[in-house]
Amino acid sequence: MDLSVYLNSMRDAAGLPFYPIVFQVLLVLTFSVHIVMVNLVLGSSFLAVYEVSRKSEFGTRLSKALGRVITVGLSIAIVLGVAPLLFVQVIYDPFWYTATSLSAFWALMFLVVITLAFYSSYGFYLGNKKSSHGEMKARWAYVAIFFLLLTALFIHMLSMEQLTPEKWKAWIISKEGFVSFSGGEFHSVNLGRLLHFIIPSFAVTGVYLMLYASYFSEREDYDSNYLDYVAKRGANLALWASVLTVASGFWWLGTIPKDFSFAQNPFLIIGAVLGIITTAYLGAAYLSPGKRAKNAAILMFLTIFFMSCAREGLRMHYMNKVGYSIYNYPLNVDWPSTILFFATFIMGLFVLCFPAAAAFKAGKAHKGQVVIINPTIVRNSLYLMIAWFVVVAGLGIVISLKNGTLF
Amino acid sequence: MYPFWEVPFFTSGLVIALVATFHILPCHLATGAFWFNVYVERKAFYEKRPELLEFLKKYSLLILIFCFVIGSLSGVGIWYAATVASPRGISALIHNYVWGWATEWVFFIIEIATIYVYYYTLGRIDEKSHLTLGWVYAWAAWISMIIITGILAFMLSSGKWVETGGFFDGFFNETYWPQLFTRTALMFGIAGAYAVIVASTLKNKEVRLELVRTASIWGIGGMVLGAIFTFWYLFKLPEHAKDLAFGGTLPYLKSMLYVAAICYGVVLLWFVIFGLIRPSLSRPVIGIIILFILFAGIGAGEGFREGARRPYIIDRYMYGNQIIAYNIPAKNIKAEVPKFQKEGFWPNLYFKPDNLDLSKTKDRLLAGSVIVHHQCGNCHALDRLGKIRPLSVLLENLAPESPGDIADFLDALGDYPYMPPFAGNDKDKEAAAEYLFSIVRR
Repeated sequence: MDLSVYLNSMRDAAGLPFYPIVFQVLLVLTFSVHIVMVNLVLGSSFLAVYEVSRKSEFGTRLSKALGRVITVGLSIAIVLGVAPLLFVQVIYDPFWYTATSLSAFWALMFLVVITLAFYSSYGFYLGNKKSSHGEMKARWAYVAIFFLLLTALFIHMLSMEQLTPEKWKAWIISKEGFVSFSGGEFHSVNLGRLLHFIIPSFAVTGVYLMLYASYFSEREDYDSNYLDYVAKRGANLALWASVLTVASGFWWLGTIPKDFSFAQNPFLIIGAVLGIITTAYLGAAYLSPGKRAKNAAILMFLTIFFMSCAREGLRMHYMNKVGYSIYNYPLNVDWPSTILFFATFIMGLFVLCFPAAAAFKAGKAHKGQVVIINPTIVRNSLYLMIAWFVVVAGLGIVISLKNGTLF
Repeated sequence: MYPFWEVPFFTSGLVIALVATFHILPCHLATGAFWFNVYVERKAFYEKRPELLEFLKKYSLLILIFCFVIGSLSGVGIWYAATVASPRGISALIHNYVWGWATEWVFFIIEIATIYVYYYTLGRIDEKSHLTLGWVYAWAAWISMIIITGILAFMLSSGKWVETGGFFDGFFNETYWPQLFTRTALMFGIAGAYAVIVASTLKNKEVRLELVRTASIWGIGGMVLGAIFTFWYLFKLPEHAKDLAFGGTLPYLKSMLYVAAICYGVVLLWFVIFGLIRPSLSRPVIGIIILFILFAGIGAGEGFREGARRPYIIDRYMYGNQIIAYNIPAKNIKAEVPKFQKEGFWPNLYFKPDNLDLSKTKDRLLAGSVIVHHQCGNCHALDRLGKIRPLSVLLENLAPESPGDIADFLDALGDYPYMPPFAGNDKDKEAAAEYLFSIVRR
């Protein structure tokens, strides 16, 4: 059986419930948000260790703050990661399922190492919550970094294996004709690409620090010298990490097959130009990093988004090479469930305004001060949730009665 | 077919079962806990009792550290485990229910945003807003259960979906409502158990006794209602599943129900004695032991659900070995068994050695190994020392004297109500039979 025949025959028999381009856009969008959070967690872990080693008062305070960022960020990163994981299985199912089955053991090990990373980061955060200047211990942060890097390596490997389908057979079938069912394959690591995901962690963390300093600048109980220290550390880190990210990008670019002409990909060009603008802006922002934090964050997110688009474009090159395109995936359009998702998604954005407003206002308030949240936002969030339930439960009862499945 | 992943001795199916069972503890806590939390917070707010806040903080922290670490990861874990153990099965679910899962994801985001803000803003935002945050979380978490139950129930009873292919026709199937009610009741039971454990650690004795008793009442309510709804659930099972479980075909399913009932009975008794009658005797360590018993009960209940849908992984649509069993004209899906019986299973495989000569015994054994792994390996251990439905032992009981005897047995597979038919032609059968004969324990 030809590889292309295999890949196309392994598409799910049910087809897609909506147009592939929609899933593709959702995949790229949710991946961009997910990877920003992943970068923040990884970068914060490294920086927390560094700040502990400096044994300064500001360093201690900052590493404690980063301890909380790591734990909360990791939770959010995992939840955000569910969406791209879902959408990749919808349109790239033959690649995803084959690569993951070939490396089943490592796919499951990913869960083990990320759990260990999680609890190590909690060990660092909770273990140092009450420790004062000079007493902080970084050993759990080291452990967390180790497991986070392993997590990155495993996920990178699983992604890369999907791009090399022409090698799959040779990995598990010996010359004597034996087929391996061990699920222990570990191939296709590309250090340039992996670094291009890891190094931006420092840039994202740097920009986060700039935002942190800007956000808390209105609070009187925050020492302005400390915030200045954090903002400058952030701007410095973001600048140098951006430069190194560009360098690792060139390394990765050199490993991509020439016939893809990937350097001409419009998304890559936009992403690269944005990356250069961001780097220049960070250089200029060094003197007043707090004031330029928001613009730097917007520029950085746009860069990451366009680079994610470029990454998707690259994936399509690899897959076109073996005769696979998502655009001719058979369709069985299902409007009711599509409407359910998009209506819920829009509702969810409204509901999220409430916790976002609460967090934003509470964070800006001085210690001991109780802030009041706009009652309309509060009330409407709850009403929206209840309305969702009433509509779907009503729909369910009607359908169940019609189909005779209720009693 | 996708490459097969073999778990020595235990089968890959057991990996999913373990991860899924474990996931239920944190996920039902995540869905049920905040109904109790907002109940306690309401008391603290309206009755002006700030001493109750210690419980809120501790209980919320437990949810954060347990549910949003182990719960989230084991949830993703089920996906990964299903991906590597039954890729076509999870693919079928995802391609029919992607928007359902995506909708659930929206509620996950709401959950995680509200739980963190709830925990970190206690005492920092006005009481009414904080209480509403708790309500929003509680609704979001329960709605995520409302959604996932539809997909789980679909695997057991696919409803009108096999005729229409419609999302909601499969979602609101025969066992949807009873499963939702049972799981909802159980979530209060689980949340009650954790609440008793957390309440047992409180310093203020009066509050401790009061909350242990209150949480126990919630727990008792959950367990009793759960038992009542379980009868509805069993009543609504597809006829085929009822035959397997109660018609004597698979007696182990009944035993699993008994195990689940005994475990839940023990938990109920614990609520009554250590919560309601003598709350002063409640200790965290006993509570943790109770959690293990609960875990065993859940495992047995889930084992029953999985066993009762045999031979399918998705009711009527897909067999446990990931071969499509049913024509769904509405989706242009064709059953695969007739195709494989006509064209052969071996020629339709990609991951196989290309240069085998099936007229040679050695090559037939190699081919047979691949065919058997795909068609039997999801449910049966293939090693000689296998522990889960080991084929070497099961075949030994048939005392085959030649591969031909096993080929005859393969021919009759479809007659067993819990087994899929052999999906292949005579050549496939011959190769499979020779391989199976080679692994029979003698």
